[in-house]
Amino acid sequence: MPVVGKNIPHDSARGHVSGESLYIDDMPFARNELLVDFVGSPFAHGKLIDIDLSEAQRIPGVVGLYTAKDLACNLFGPILKDEVLLVEDVAWFLGEPIVVIAAETRDAMRQAKAAVRITMEELPPVFTISEAIAKQQFLAPERFIRRGDLAAGFAAADHLLEGVFTNGGQDHFYLESQAALVYPGENNTLTVHSSTQHPTEVQEIVAKLLGLQNNQVVCITKRMGGGFGGKESQATHPAVMAGLVALRHKRPARIVFTKDDDMKVTGKRHPFENRYKVGFTNDGVITAFQVELYSNGGAYADLSTAVMARAMTHADNAYFLPNVEIKGVCCRTNLPPNTAFRGFGGPQGTVTIENIMEEIAFLLKKDPLEVRRANLYGETERNVTPYGEIVMNNMLPRLAAEQFRRSDYENRREAVRRFNAESKTHLKGLSCTFVKFGISFNTKFLNQASALVNIYLDGTVQVSTGATEMGQGVNTKIRQVVADQFAIEPEAVILMPTSTEKSNNASATAASSGADLNGSAAVDACQRLRTRLAEAAAKFIASKEADIEASPSNILFEDGYVFDNRRPARRMSFKELVKYAYHQRISLGERGFYATQGIDWNWETGSGNPFLYYTMGCSVAEVLLDRFTGALKVLRSDVLMDIGKSINPGIDRGQLTGAYIQGMGWVTTEELKYAANGDLLSHSPTTYKIPNIQDLPEVFNVDWIENDTNEVNLLRSKAVGEPPLLMAIAVWTAVKDALSAVSGDEIPRLHLPATNEEILMRLTHYRKTAASSVTETVETARV
Amino acid sequence: MRDFIHFYLNGKPVTLSGSAVFQTLSDFLRYERGATGTKVVCAEGDCGACTVLLGKVEAGALAYRAVNSCIQSLYQLDCTHVITVEGVKLNGTLCAVQEAMTANHAAQCGYCTPGFVVSMCGLFDAQTSVTEQDIKDALTGNLCRCTGYEPIIKSGLAVETDRVVKFSQMYPQAEMLESFRKLADQPIYIQAGNQTFGSPTETAGAIKFKAGHEKTVVVQGATDVGVWCNKRNFVPPAVLSLSKIEELKDLTIAGDVVRVGARVTLSELEAFIKDVVPEFYAILNIFGAPQIKNAGTLAGNIANGSPIADTLPFLFVMEAELELAGGQGSRRVGIREFYKGYKTFDLAADEIIVRVHIPLPQPGETLKLYKVSKRKDLDISTFTAAIRLTVEQGMVGNVRIAYGGVGPVVLRLPRTEAFLSGKTHTLETYEAAGLLAREEITPISDVRGSSEFRFQLAENILQKFFYETC
Repeated sequence: MPVVGKNIPHDSARGHVSGESLYIDDMPFARNELLVDFVGSPFAHGKLIDIDLSEAQRIPGVVGLYTAKDLACNLFGPILKDEVLLVEDVAWFLGEPIVVIAAETRDAMRQAKAAVRITMEELPPVFTISEAIAKQQFLAPERFIRRGDLAAGFAAADHLLEGVFTNGGQDHFYLESQAALVYPGENNTLTVHSSTQHPTEVQEIVAKLLGLQNNQVVCITKRMGGGFGGKESQATHPAVMAGLVALRHKRPARIVFTKDDDMKVTGKRHPFENRYKVGFTNDGVITAFQVELYSNGGAYADLSTAVMARAMTHADNAYFLPNVEIKGVCCRTNLPPNTAFRGFGGPQGTVTIENIMEEIAFLLKKDPLEVRRANLYGETERNVTPYGEIVMNNMLPRLAAEQFRRSDYENRREAVRRFNAESKTHLKGLSCTFVKFGISFNTKFLNQASALVNIYLDGTVQVSTGATEMGQGVNTKIRQVVADQFAIEPEAVILMPTSTEKSNNASATAASSGADLNGSAAVDACQRLRTRLAEAAAKFIASKEADIEASPSNILFEDGYVFDNRRPARRMSFKELVKYAYHQRISLGERGFYATQGIDWNWETGSGNPFLYYTMGCSVAEVLLDRFTGALKVLRSDVLMDIGKSINPGIDRGQLTGAYIQGMGWVTTEELKYAANGDLLSHSPTTYKIPNIQDLPEVFNVDWIENDTNEVNLLRSKAVGEPPLLMAIAVWTAVKDALSAVSGDEIPRLHLPATNEEILMRLTHYRKTAASSVTETVETARV
Repeated sequence: MRDFIHFYLNGKPVTLSGSAVFQTLSDFLRYERGATGTKVVCAEGDCGACTVLLGKVEAGALAYRAVNSCIQSLYQLDCTHVITVEGVKLNGTLCAVQEAMTANHAAQCGYCTPGFVVSMCGLFDAQTSVTEQDIKDALTGNLCRCTGYEPIIKSGLAVETDRVVKFSQMYPQAEMLESFRKLADQPIYIQAGNQTFGSPTETAGAIKFKAGHEKTVVVQGATDVGVWCNKRNFVPPAVLSLSKIEELKDLTIAGDVVRVGARVTLSELEAFIKDVVPEFYAILNIFGAPQIKNAGTLAGNIANGSPIADTLPFLFVMEAELELAGGQGSRRVGIREFYKGYKTFDLAADEIIVRVHIPLPQPGETLKLYKVSKRKDLDISTFTAAIRLTVEQGMVGNVRIAYGGVGPVVLRLPRTEAFLSGKTHTLETYEAAGLLAREEITPISDVRGSSEFRFQLAENILQKFFYETC
């Protein structure tokens, strides 16, 4: 029986519930191990004048203090090479590492950190997008995606709408902080155990910054205690620090950030400030769409340009834009470099147009869902994105129809209207949003993966791929895929720790692509092994059975057995076949490779086919607001997605519920608050509020439609890691919908996140406006 | 007098003395014992990853409750049985809770999972059948970033309750109880380096210790002190534990007054007060993590002196009294008079809070309590309020209003109270009162909210009160 499609437990589940799964900080301490930590900049922007290490050096137990000059190279970055590991001249964010410390004990480390004296001259910092724009302080040149004739589109509109939408950032809040443990080897080799989504990048940057060759560094990732994008590029920093100490002292060296330090010095989801101008007809159909996306990239480029590319290619979301201009600009500020976070700019692009949909409906006094459906991508026409890719396998119309029925939208819309007319104490809001999320790295060359499949003489299999396990279940899915390739039990397949020694030059496990790319590479390896095994089996069976020639094409693998379909009675177990093949001196190991075909992208023209396919969804959320406190409660969420043919329904469902609640946190309670000097005030769970178990929607319906037509991807599945996070945008638009009941003629503008404070301040504004009966219309012109 | 502590860890006895007793339980588990199943994430008792079960003697047997091991110092563990995630398996096989969580995808990255397992095992040890709300309430103090909680709740509902083996069966209690009984009446005094720990068995001993040691920190749950140690490098020179003083454990109603001893945990109070003062119960219900409420006390919440302590507005409008004991005997001080400024108290160096006396609301009185925080549960308040008054024949009387989070201490609002007295119980009255309330407060802007937000809440809460009581 095939195991793909079955709901088997996560391959680490038993270890997880027993507390036996090992993370970096759980690995046994070596007797001679050193602790590693760092001291960072006291200013968000400052010129380094002097570093005085004399006092710290005298502390017993302190064995090493290192600065930028101890690195062979101090310049790196995942895309643009603009980042330093240790400040040389000017610090660009508060806490930016300056001194790396190696100590014998935690006590010595604590004292040493307090004893390092750093003298700096404070420079004026820039924290916000508007300040950066005013100073023309950008990380990279602006970029465009354009199509059609914007002027003609605006001219054809019945209405124009302009506005500015702002969203805040989000901390990943992976439970396991950034961590690395490095063991020195012979001849200046290093084995780096890193909690990273990107072992290859850790390997490369450790080697480069420490003056080693790539082949002197092995990076191993058994698992992460959560990643969410936060360990795509920023796990490298602690790994280099520990690597430096391990290399210098020839002793194991371990660094584990505290939660507070982690939150303060690592990058987050990008805040955006988006300026939009939209033309639309009386029916709400968009005729022209112009948007400028500005992201707050922080101090260094990190992945900001790629995040912006995804924001730009998701500014259309599920809606056809005939005449369009999308501009993207990454601002440079004095915050830690912002980075990948589940959705990778997609949410920020998507929420911008979902916000606009609400506003168009408000101006036209229509149900927002009606406006959305009027603009939804068609299946055969109005189906080309602004960047020229055709929306293939378009499930949006089907999802819309199905969700409309399942969520009882029409009746609930009426119930909400009645409630708001009657209640003096509360407001309700209802909203339906869509998601169309492109799958593939925008950067073409990243869309490749390798896998190593080794079969052992007892018929068991080890698989190593470039995919890293951060809880998302990629290893379990690949285990299922590989088990089916040989028709063996999943227990006979083990996914090995990800290692650069096994899977060289691997891409990050990111962009929801882990299972797609690495699973496909594993299939490639398995198929070649199966071909060889089938040849061996054919020969063996033919030698035992009279009247038949060896015919590999007649060999079948089923339920742990291998047989010739012309002589099904003479079957051999997979194990017997493996043994036989070994004695026939047939290789039982294979390396597989996969490169996504048919994708391309051109920044010169802002066009191409960057995505292999799209994962889609339709989301309905209903919220309740307290008119006096701004308190928000999510009453009901209906999540309906197209995830193709699921490899593991239990794991995929967990991705849907988990991403949704994480997205709900982004749009409601998760607020990054900074002091005037750029110090993050919400730097621990006491002050940074991710959703809690009591925050679940009272009714939470999560499901997907049947779709086995996605032929372009692994076993007709669709990627599921990021897209469901965007389904939570409906919670935010539902708040906006609730506000529209009391905002009079004024478009209910709303910042993201919609915290209780944000909501109450808006409600107060509308009450005051209503009281003074001053109305202000934001619609700028009527054509 | 003895100079050691004695506890059990997953059924095995542990005896410690000297400076070792000042480390946190999570450090001891992870670094001394190599028991790394217990994870530390926030190190401030706000995520639950480090949850362990603490068995304490209650009514002659051990009762297990979840606590955060990252802010439990070992000196607090005398005469307890600690069960960690390593100790919930049954002879090396997964227990019913672990099985259900495995089958239902309750774990993704796995880092929060041991904490959830332990909290849920505690729930199923205490109750034989559970509802969805029971599960949520038991897991309020555990954060998960991967699953969206839904699979965890599903796991809880899927636990095969007839397969649950109670800890009393897994860990026979006779030996533990006997060893605890022998030690119960022996006070502890441990001196190590520049730190001293004392755990007397009588109030007089506590007063003597506090008088004799400068800068003594009094602990019961130590849920705040533990955070200071982890986050501010606080090294308390002298720690006085009340945990062996039996007389401080009283929780009774005498006439119209509830007496809450200094050792009474917030969980115990929450259960006790449920039907007595449902409004206060509702506030205690969202007070914070069960792990915190299982360790922290009402007296501790008062003594920490935070202007956003969730219990204070209630105590202010009920005009609770604190019973203090010191070298000069005992005395009573009104809760309002106790606070002299931000974290400064009417408390002599040798005095401790031994009991809180809370008058109960009278028939005909209306009492409403409010807590506004960014997240409803497991959050520190942005603003708190208590409103207590009577409405007779449409007229407002006997008004007492207290606000928290709007100044350096919790405030009564005398002008607003006076304004409301004798007015008609109408929306207009409360709207006007709200404007007046704004004038009596001095809120600041901080990470939890702007001063404008707090001003607006101070104004609005009176209208909310009206709608809830009209």
